[in-house]
Amino acid sequence: MSSIISSVRSTWTIAIYTWRQGMRQKTLIGFLLLSVLVIFGSSFLTAFLTQTTGTDTQVDIEAKLLKDICVTTISIFGMLITIFISASVVPGEVQNKVVYTVLSKPVRRFQYLLGKFIGVQLIVIINLALMGGLFFIALYAKQRIMPTLLLWSILLTYFEFLVVSAFTFAVSCSASSPVLPTIAGLFIYVTGNLIEYLKDVYNRAGQTGQWFDELIGKVAYGLYQILPNLQNFSMKTQILYLQPNDPPKDVQFPNLIWPKLWRGTSSRIGFSGARSCSPS
Amino acid sequence: MSAVIETQDLTKIYEGAFKGQDVHALTKLNLTIEAGEIFGYLGPNGSGKTTTIKMLLGLIFPTSGKIRILGRKDFGSPAVRRKIGFLPEGAYYPDFLRGEEVLSFFGKLYGLGGADLRKRIDWAIELVGMKHARKRLVRGYSKGMRQRIGLAQALLSNPDILILDEPTTGLDPIARKEIRDILSNLRDEGKTLLISSHELLEVEMISNRVGILSNGVLQTMGTLDELLTSRDVLLQVGAMSAEASGKLTAAGLEIEDQVKDNVKIRVPDQVSVYDALELCKTQNVPLLSVAPRRETLEELFVRIVGAAERAKEQS
Repeated sequence: MSSIISSVRSTWTIAIYTWRQGMRQKTLIGFLLLSVLVIFGSSFLTAFLTQTTGTDTQVDIEAKLLKDICVTTISIFGMLITIFISASVVPGEVQNKVVYTVLSKPVRRFQYLLGKFIGVQLIVIINLALMGGLFFIALYAKQRIMPTLLLWSILLTYFEFLVVSAFTFAVSCSASSPVLPTIAGLFIYVTGNLIEYLKDVYNRAGQTGQWFDELIGKVAYGLYQILPNLQNFSMKTQILYLQPNDPPKDVQFPNLIWPKLWRGTSSRIGFSGARSCSPS
Repeated sequence: MSAVIETQDLTKIYEGAFKGQDVHALTKLNLTIEAGEIFGYLGPNGSGKTTTIKMLLGLIFPTSGKIRILGRKDFGSPAVRRKIGFLPEGAYYPDFLRGEEVLSFFGKLYGLGGADLRKRIDWAIELVGMKHARKRLVRGYSKGMRQRIGLAQALLSNPDILILDEPTTGLDPIARKEIRDILSNLRDEGKTLLISSHELLEVEMISNRVGILSNGVLQTMGTLDELLTSRDVLLQVGAMSAEASGKLTAAGLEIEDQVKDNVKIRVPDQVSVYDALELCKTQNVPLLSVAPRRETLEELFVRIVGAAERAKEQS
């Protein structure tokens, strides 16, 4: 029992210090400040629009503009922070050899990786909470309605980041520099958001009857089956067009984490840990 | 005395991408380090020192052979690592943490916490003289400061075994003396220290035993008295006549150096020191001092490693 407690404590210690280290990185602070600036700026921009037009319908347009800018900002900067931090924590410590010092302590490799992953999630959650909180305040100040729908959107955005982060982190465990995991993370993010196009390609591919066409269709279908559909996590349309306190539509918790990717990613992490533990 | 660190035919081969590209980093290493001694682990770059240390810590695994630490076979387990303090070469620590945060981090990994941890951090920081920089980010530390904070983290958990890879690199002479004193005190407290270093003079000053590694093979191991053989005797005399100088030289003595009224005369092994002293007396040469000279660790190192390199070239 005491060894389990000690094991959990070590993992949590690594997570906390990963978070503390990460929050002091200039690149990350830069991304965060930029996103805060854009969210603030959008409030001023919409206020300027109100002053110039001042009609009732314009108030709705103003709120829509604010939502549009803020949702996009959170999505882009949040994803950049997520990929940057997920791709760099482990390779960074391998590159500067900190990993040797840490693993010479009474810590197992699995605890180290798990601690790092939890630390990354703490960074992502706190950044998202800061950006989302600011957006929440700006929207409430604008419409004077409690934007509960936004909380759902932030939660779903986190799950989207979690999928991308898990994949990027898993790749980073086998990489010696952050470049490859960053590319992998961006790939998953971009293709995950364009997954419906792959389905379109598959549907149209069989129409010509040529073998190459069919091959492309099969590849597209294969990718459609393997890659996560990150659009499942997007509530942008609902945020833009529904009232801020409307209940969310089409949100089902079992679908939040795409099972295949999650299984694949977690086993990948497990594999990395096991491989580094095994005699080389 | 009981063996704290023991290796038996320890071998590490790094497999290359193609056949014939394997690197034999360490070959059949048999090492025994007793409790309460400072063992100097020496060797040129690429000789296998760091590979040995990594295996002792369980960071990499042997290709073959056995390791026992404190009598236990599970050398890489957290339970064994809890008993070891490690200072890596180059002192690598999380850059965005402050000095005391680094110590707190490593202390917590050792299972320390609360008031005990704070007390240990204060003690370690005071010991290595880093009180003034404890709140600064590690990334702003000089090489010497990193080395000091590294030593502090190695000592934090009061381990039975200390493995130090180049502990005095980057330190000024005063700091080196301080670190040497700390290490000697630790030995006196009964700790076992394995020091890997290129600073042969430092090692000679504090080690009980040394082992010299070359090309992954332990070339020699023993106490300094066993390894450093007596070489010759040096006489220091005052001003002497040209005639006396000629007679001394004719008797087989060698004048090494002459600065005004201070002459250094080497008495080779084949000449009796008593005969040399008698000759000095009869020639009225004023005797200032008589000192036996033994081989330095540096000379031994160069001799052993040189011979190993030549043997490798010939084979």
